[in-house]
This record gives sequence, C-alpha cells and structure tokens, in this order.
Amino acid sequence: METQTRYDLNAAMENWRAELAAQPNLTAEVRRELETHLRDAIAGFQQRGLNDEESFWLACKRVGRPQQLGEEFCKIDPVAVWRERIFWMWLALFLSNTLGSIGYSLAVAVRPLSTQAANAVVAWEILQITLLFVSMLIPLVLAIGLAKGKWVGQFSKLMQIAGNRRRLTMTALACILLSSTVRIVSWEIFISKSHLRSDVVWPNSIPSASYALITGLLLVWLMPSQNRKTPKRA
Amino acid sequence: MLAKDMVAASAKPLLLSILAEGESYGYEIIQRVRELSGGQIEWSDGMLYPVLHRLERDGLIESEWKEADTGRQRKYYFISTDGRKVLKTERQQWLTVHNTLGKLWKHKPVTI
Repeated sequence: METQTRYDLNAAMENWRAELAAQPNLTAEVRRELETHLRDAIAGFQQRGLNDEESFWLACKRVGRPQQLGEEFCKIDPVAVWRERIFWMWLALFLSNTLGSIGYSLAVAVRPLSTQAANAVVAWEILQITLLFVSMLIPLVLAIGLAKGKWVGQFSKLMQIAGNRRRLTMTALACILLSSTVRIVSWEIFISKSHLRSDVVWPNSIPSASYALITGLLLVWLMPSQNRKTPKRA
Repeated sequence: MLAKDMVAASAKPLLLSILAEGESYGYEIIQRVRELSGGQIEWSDGMLYPVLHRLERDGLIESEWKEADTGRQRKYYFISTDGRKVLKTERQQWLTVHNTLGKLWKHKPVTI
C-alpha cells in the first residue's frame, strides 16, 4: 500500500513563525512583514508549478534563516530593538507601581488604627511591607502564569489598551488619576483615625503623583512604532 | 553576479529609484530588481528589510500597512520629499562615476 504523507504547509509555516519569534532582535512588526514576504514567495513558486513542500523550502532559503535575519536587523537598527524591550520593562514597572500604590492606600484606609502615634509608626512599617509584596507579587504571579501558558488570551485582550498611542495615554492617565485619588482619600481616612496633622498629605502626594506621571509619559514616548501609528485608509 | 560590496553600495539609489516610480512592498521590490538587472543583482530577502527600515528611520521613505487585492495585509513603502532630494544627489554622484569610467572605457557619456 502506498503511504503518502501529505505535506502540511500550515504546520511548516507555524514552525517557521515560532523559530522567528524566538529571535530576540525581531520586533512583532518585522516578523509580520517577513511572514507576508514568505507567503508571497511561496505563492510565487506555487504559481510556477512547484508543490507546497518545494515552494516552502525555496521561499525559506530566499528569505534567510531566522537567526541570520535577527543578526542583520540588529546590525541596522539596534535602537528599535532596545526601545521595545525598555517599553515593556517600563510598562511592567508602571503597572506594578500603580497596583502597589492602590493596594497600599487601601490597606492604609482599611486598617483599624490605635490612636497612639507609636502604634501608627508600627502600622506604617507593616504597610510598607504590604506595598512591597503587592507590587512584587502581582507581576510575579502574572509572569509565572503567562510563562506556563495561562491567561494568554485574556492578557492579549487586556494589552489592547496599548493598541495605539491615544488609548495608551488615556489608560495611563486613568491609572495615575485612580491611584492618586485612592492615595489621597485613604490618607485622609488614615489621618482622621490616627489624629495626625493633616498637612503631611499634600507634600507626600505630589512626588508620588509626579513619579507616576513621568513613568506614564515615558511609556507613551517609548511605545513601539507599529502601535504608534493608526493606519490610514487608502 | 554583482560583488557583495557593489550590491550594498547600490541598494540605496536602487530602492529610492524604484519607490520614486510608485509605492511598493518588499517582495515586489526584489522581483523588480531581479527583472531590471536581468538576474545579475540578486538581493537576499533578509538583507532588503534592514535596509528599508534604515531608510525609513532616516526619513527617506515612509511606510503603511495596506490591504492588497488578495485581501492580505502588506506593508507598502513610498518615497518622502527628503528621499527625492537625496535621490537627486545620489543620481548625480552615480552618473559622475559612470561617466568617468565611461570615458576610460570609451563609452558614450550619459547626461544628467
């Protein structure tokens, strides 16, 4: 009996894409562009009468090995590569800072406090540690989950807030506003509970709000170029 | 076949000249170069994109994702005003080289 295994072009494409995605120097947009190119090349060979396997093999040879492509791109535009890496790093920092700040403020407001100043200082220490844990634990859990392949779909949907520059700006501003508001309100609650002088609130809020603002501005500025442009309709 | 350094040196004026004719995308550009040079200039596909991206970063060309007739999204490149200016000086320089060699090789000069 003849055992003919049909060549699976889609599986081959999938492999190629995975290999390309493993190259640290290639941005998502470059990968997308190279993929359209590979598809064009395959279609070109198919039109000349070659079968799927031959077309794919020749097209791959023309486009070049993924590792080689990565090196070529890094030589020409190392800035874009680093810019994208730094963008994601800042995004993580910004999110962990926002979440940590909110968690911290909520803990400040909720915690029943004794009226004595000494206890308030101890409470303070505990809250500092809470802040650290919340701001480190959330990204950690998220990173482990994503690395294990959990919540990838939901996460990509969530990441659509970084879909274009305007949306990212709005989201960042909303985050800053939310965390600042929560912070100020919980400070007020904390102070009314502990009978401290309330004039310490504002000097403390200003640097934290400006820190958030600078982080947000950096994010918008560093945003990878493929997300920055909204494609014009031709 | 053209030597490697000649391919590298001529990439910029070739790309700008092709895009000066009208917008195009990577695959089409390579086909066009192959066809124009009678197969003498063979660009590797992987080399083209870094060059395109560098020209874009330098503001000589611009790009846009558009839907092709096949329904597939493609990244189209087109020349910018700065690109046209650079092409003009490149053209003069290449013709200078061409004419100088031409005189030595007893070819007829090409006017700019």
